[in-house]
Formats: sequence, C-alpha cells, structure tokens
Amino acid sequence: MGSSSTRAGWSFDQSPRLSLPPIMSRYRDRKLSKTYTFVGSDVFADQNARQQSRNAFEAGSGIVSNWDVMEAVLDYIFLKLGIDGQDGGVGRPIVMTEPVANLGYSRKMMTEIIFECYTAPSLAFGIDSLFSYSYNSGKTGLVVSSSHSSTHLIPVVNSKAMLSHATRLNWGRSQSAEYLLKLLQLKYPNFPGKLTSFQADSLVREHCYVSSDYVQELSGYLAWTGLEERDHVVQFPYTEQIVIQKSEEELAKIAEKRKESGRRLQEQAAKMRLEKLIKKEQELEYYKELQQKAVTESKKEFKRLLESNDFKDEAQLEKAVRELDKSIRKARTKDVGGPEIDEEEEQPTFPLLDVPDEQLDEAGLKQKRHQRLMKSNHDARARAKAEKEKEKARLAEEERLDQERRENDLEGWLQERRVAREVLLQKIKDRQRLKADLSNRKSLASQMRMKSIANLASDTPNSKKRRRGGDEDTFGANDDDWGVYRSITVGNQSEDEEEEDINTSVKNLEAQLLQYDPNFTEQHTLDAQSDWTKSLMHAFLRGPWPFDPESQREINQIHLNVERIRVPEVVFQPSIAGLDQAGIIEVASDIFLQRISNADHRSEILKDVFLTGGNTMFQGFEERLRDELRAVLPAESPLVVRRAKDPILDAWKGAAKWSCGQEWKAAVVTREEYLEKGGDYLKEHNLGNAYQ
Amino acid sequence: MAPATNSDDSHLQLLDKLDITPIPRPFRNPTWKPPQRRNKNIKQILSDASRKEASLLATQNNSGSSTPLPHGSSNASSAGNIALAQSNIAQAAQNLRTLVLERNGHNAFVSGPIATYTNIESPPSLHPAHQKHYCDITGLPAPYTDPKTRLRYHNTEIFAVVRGLGQGVAEQYLEARGAHVVLK
Repeated sequence: MGSSSTRAGWSFDQSPRLSLPPIMSRYRDRKLSKTYTFVGSDVFADQNARQQSRNAFEAGSGIVSNWDVMEAVLDYIFLKLGIDGQDGGVGRPIVMTEPVANLGYSRKMMTEIIFECYTAPSLAFGIDSLFSYSYNSGKTGLVVSSSHSSTHLIPVVNSKAMLSHATRLNWGRSQSAEYLLKLLQLKYPNFPGKLTSFQADSLVREHCYVSSDYVQELSGYLAWTGLEERDHVVQFPYTEQIVIQKSEEELAKIAEKRKESGRRLQEQAAKMRLEKLIKKEQELEYYKELQQKAVTESKKEFKRLLESNDFKDEAQLEKAVRELDKSIRKARTKDVGGPEIDEEEEQPTFPLLDVPDEQLDEAGLKQKRHQRLMKSNHDARARAKAEKEKEKARLAEEERLDQERRENDLEGWLQERRVAREVLLQKIKDRQRLKADLSNRKSLASQMRMKSIANLASDTPNSKKRRRGGDEDTFGANDDDWGVYRSITVGNQSEDEEEEDINTSVKNLEAQLLQYDPNFTEQHTLDAQSDWTKSLMHAFLRGPWPFDPESQREINQIHLNVERIRVPEVVFQPSIAGLDQAGIIEVASDIFLQRISNADHRSEILKDVFLTGGNTMFQGFEERLRDELRAVLPAESPLVVRRAKDPILDAWKGAAKWSCGQEWKAAVVTREEYLEKGGDYLKEHNLGNAYQ
Repeated sequence: MAPATNSDDSHLQLLDKLDITPIPRPFRNPTWKPPQRRNKNIKQILSDASRKEASLLATQNNSGSSTPLPHGSSNASSAGNIALAQSNIAQAAQNLRTLVLERNGHNAFVSGPIATYTNIESPPSLHPAHQKHYCDITGLPAPYTDPKTRLRYHNTEIFAVVRGLGQGVAEQYLEARGAHVVLK
C-alpha cells in the first residue's frame, strides 16, 4: 500500500502483477444516467474521470484518509487478480505494508475492512523499507528510506528494527515535485501553458540530481562556462504563429500593381497640370493683349475693359500677369524639367510710404496702407533670416569653443561629459523608481498624486496660496502650475517621448566619451551594461541563449538550471524549503553518535547504510550521503553505503518472500484472533511496527 | 462529423470496459456496512489518539501504580479473606486493574518509549552549519536580505528584481521558504 503507487501480486511472483496509483474516480454521467467507477491508471482515460479523481492517501503523508477510495482500490486489485470469492470472501491470507509508526486508527480501519468486508482468513502488516532491507539480505544497518511522501531512518540490529530510534523527515518525492512546481510558477509567472504536478513530478525524476558539493557547485551554477550543459530546456507544446510568407513572385506582382496604379495617377496629374498650364498660358496671352491695349485704346475704354475683367487698375493687372508668368514658368520647369530659374529677389520698393498722407487721394491712401503692410512683412522676413544666420553662427562658435576647450583642457571637458551622463542616468533611474512607486498604492509618490487629483477636483481648492489670503485664482499665472496635470497622468505618451529624449542624449554623450575618453570603452555604455549576456537573471530564466519575446517557441520553454540541484537538496537541508526539521545527515549522525550507546552495534550499523525508496534514486545520492557522513563520523570509522537493487519494488518483493517463510506464520493475525481481540490487535515481529 | 462520433463510440466503449461498477464482487461481504464518518485526516486521528492517551495516563496516575502497593495487603486481599473480597467486589476489580497497569508500565519501562507517528518526527536542526542562506529568487548563495520584503538575494541585479516584484509576489517567494506571515 504505497502512497505513490499500490502494488499487488501473489507471494510466489517475482515482481508485483499490479502497480497502480491509489486513486479512484466515481461519478455519475447525467446524460447516460450511469455511474462510472475507475481505479488506478484507468482514471486518466477520461477527462471527466480525471477531474473527479480522489486519492486514498492524505496529501504528503503515508496515511490513508479516504477509505472509500481504499476499498475501491482493494476491489480493483482482487478483481484483477481474479479472485472468484467462492466461499464468500477473498479466501487468501493477506500481507500489507504500512509506514513506520502507522497510526492505530488507520491500522484498525484497514484490519476491519479486510476481515469484515473481504472475510480474509488472515492478515499481517510490515514496514515497507524493512521488507526491502531484508530482501537485500541486510541484518544490521541503517535503513534510509526516502519514498513518495516521507523519509525514514531506521537502525536495524540483528534483523530487529530499533523503532524507538526511528526518525521521520516529512519530505519525499511528492513534496519535491510540489516544491519544483512552486519554484517554476514563481520563475515564470507569465507562462502561457499550465504546469501540472504530474509534469513537475516527471521533471524531478528526469532532470534533478544530488550535487556532490552543493555550495561549491551552486555558486558557479549560472556561470557562463558550461551553462549549456547545466541548463536543461524543457519545451512545452505551442502553436507557431503563422507569418504569411509571400513568394517572390507574389511580392513582385504586388509591387508591379502598386507601381502601375501610381503611374496612372501620375499620368492623370500630369494631364491635369498640362491642361491648367495651357489655360494659364491662354490667360497670360489674353492679359498681355490687354496690357497692349493700354497703349492703343483710349484711357476710358481701357478702364472699362479692366473693370470688365475685375481689375481695379493697371498695377493689379501687371501683378496678375507677373504672377501668372511665374507660375507658368514654375510649372513648366516641373513638368518639362527645364532649368531651375532662381527667383530673383528683387528688392520691393515702397515709394508711397515716404509721401505724407495729405498729398494722397483715396486710392493713394489705400495703396499706401497696402505698401506699409507689405513692408513690415518683408522686414519681418528679413529679421527672421538674420536671426537664423546668427543662430547658426552661434552654434558654430559654440562648437569651436567646445573644440578649443577639449583641446586645451581634455580632462575637464571629459569630466563635464561624465557628470552630465551621470545626471542623465540618475534621471532614468529616478523615473523608473517613480514608475515603480506609482504602481504601489501606498507609496509616497502615489499618495502625492492622489492628493493633487483631489485638489484639482474639489471646487474650493485649499492650496497654500489660497489660505494665505489672495482670493483670486492665480492658477496658470505661473507656467509651472500646469505641471500638475503632467504629474497626475501615468504612463502617457509624453513620458515615453521624454524617455526617448533622455536615451538619445545619453547615447550622444556616450559617443563623445567613446571618441575622446581613453578610459571609457564599449563595456561602459548603458547598452553594454543592459546586455543580456551579462545578466544573471537572464542566465537563470533563459539559459545561455538570447530570448525573443515574440517567439512562441521560446515563450513556452522552461529552463531548469539551479532547480536541478536545489530541489533534491531539501532532504539534506530541509530549511531550503522552509521545513523546520533536521536533514538526513544530521539525523543519521545523531542516531550514530548519540542514540546508539552500544559501540559494537554502532560500528556494525555503519558498515551497512542501506538506501531504498524512489526518492533515493537521484544520481549522486549515495556518494553525497557517504561523503557527508564521513565528514561527521569519527576518523577511521568503517562506512559502507549501498542502495537497494530495486529501490522501488524491493519492498513488495521482500514482503512476498517474507510471506512464504516461517516468520510470517508467527506474525499473522488470523480471523479468529481478530474476532476475539479486535481491530487494534497486532502481533509484533522483526519487520513490523510495535503494538501500542 | 462521422469520424467524431466514431471516436466517441470507441471512447465510450473504452470507458465501459474500464468501468468496474457493474462487475460482480463476490469476495465482498454483502452485509458489510462501512462505519459512519470513517474518513478522518491525520490531524483528527492524532487529536483523538492524544485525547485517549491523556485519559489513559490519568487513570494510570490515579491507579496507584505510581505508588506501589504494600505487598502484604494485596496478598491478603487475594488469598486470604475471601468473604471480605466478595463483599467488596469493586475493590477487587480495582486491584486487578492495578496489577495489569503495573505490568504494562513495567513493559514500557523495559522497551523504552514507544515510537508513535508524532514522536518519530525529526527535530528542528540545531547544527550551525545548516543555517546557510540562499537567494529566494535564484537559489544561489545569498549574503544579503532586503529589509523591506525580507527576501534574501544574491547581488545587486537580483536586488533590482526583488524591488521590482509586483504586489504579493514577494510573499509567495517567502511562502516557498516557509517564512511567510500566516494570519490566524
């Protein structure tokens, strides 16, 4: 009756016929109105059944807590062993294993079930690890049994277990798997798949090993050299995001199509332009003719003509002609590709401005106003140009000065740059901190933010300014007042832009430093420092390979590195997983050095330290135990550590062998004895628990 | 749709094959009725057991086995004055029980304390060498502790990670080490 799997068979079998997890799933299918019962591995056949499955054992212990499941498991075993129940019962003697110092209640319940429900003629209990030890022909030694739910150390002298010295550590394979699961969930909080405890168990089995020197190996575990071997990548199933790859031909076709439509548009535009040009040319022709007419026609007639063409006077006509001419020329150069004609910047004259108003008539005054406007326009443009020129000169001058300073006082110049860079880096850090603080509701930064929001929202802002006296609202008088809005928004666009700005200026400074500072190398740049190859966290999470957050394949990977030795180490140092118990080395040395007073027994026991149970199957377990025990034992004491031939099945084999021998006959409780003495009754024997 | 129903059918057939509900179980006693509320967890079992033990201890203390009876009196009551013994059956029963308890006590003294589920648990470690600290995030040796989250960390880079953890995550890390705060 194991908590990881229950094994059953006949006493004459070489190995157990059945091995099944002690789980049962009984549920009613509403659609078919039928009750299903599945036991053992059959539970995994159906999704529904798997969800409803229940374990007979209490999680993380070797104690049965669900007897309905236990009964179903026993039913299943007897069914599969082909027991026909001719005499209304199982009709065969039964031998069962139980944990060290099994609880009286559990044993009583089991005895009751066996005798009352299955009407077995007899029943015997024994401790699993001791069966394993006797099967491996051990007589005197220390049995270290680390199994699914717990780890036991039992000293055995002359085939008799010293149960009063037995010690249990509440850590086994199942706890290891649970621990690994917890670690992985913390390591990859955004893992898209779902890690099951079943998977964690197989990860423990396949990837973990016991380190021979934990501290030594641990400190170099994430070092760059050899990380490829230490880092195990576990790929979970994923669906590749399909990026539609267009063939070369298709791409060419699409480009061609695009070009074609572009060309058509261009053609159309050119046609339109040409039409416009022609129209404009015609217009120009007409206006020119009109101008000619000024000479030939009479003044009155000309004026009439002008007015019919919406011109006020000759100057306007002249202007229109000039503009048309210009635009035609421009269009022509653009279309036909003629030589670019420089726009001659003729200095406009404003003759009317100097004439006093009194000397002008109505039209003259209008003209003058117009000219004044034009002049101020012109002046402004000239001023802007001059300013631009000046700025350019200033920059050039600055650059020259900078250069000069660099040449004269390189150290000072560099120092300035360094300080500036430091300031910027500090700024980046501050921003990050502020961001982090804002995410925490209780932080000072977010409380300040809340305060200012509340202040802005309230009708009567009770800011300090207000209370001091002045009733008028002066918000906005100072430009800094508006900063309050910036401070209350979180993660907006402008912040990102500012960050970008800081980053670019850092880059600039670093480029300058790289160029002129001999002490500033590529390694010192911000980019190099945030490079993933230097990151310990990256090595921990992603191993020695680059990580692409877009790749589904890499997102669905789990990297096992430190965990590979961290998880099995718990048996030696339970405090790692928060278990407040002594590790097996400490317990073993306590048993050897304190509890066993007989010196002869001690040396005999040391000669046979025996490992059994599934949790001892880690690679390196034996060596580690030997080395550590050697370190705590007196010099020159004999020490032999060995492992069971089959740490998992030897307990069953030992029980089967034992049930064929003489010892069994003396230890068995018959049905008559049960009926007379009750479910608590137990006969003590060498491989069993003590009667309480 | 056809293949789906086909596989459904075969799945149902498989389930029917694996189902052990309808299989007759002649080896079971038809009159067997499981006792009520037999499923107990370890905590319940242990508390029941300890209660029983305590009451047993109380009877033992009151029984007089701790203060041995004078030899003469027990002999006299059992061998000699039959009439007196018969008149005082209750006292005789008391004496018998004392004898049994005395024998049990003697046995216990010889074989030492009996191993029980609770008392074989390994005690807390006292060895100073086992008080090493490991980084809660990476598992590497951790010389530092963050006073704010109480997480142990390996170096400055991990410290930045520790400080960047979301709310409640630090507590989960502590839980993995069994150092989290439990509110009762």
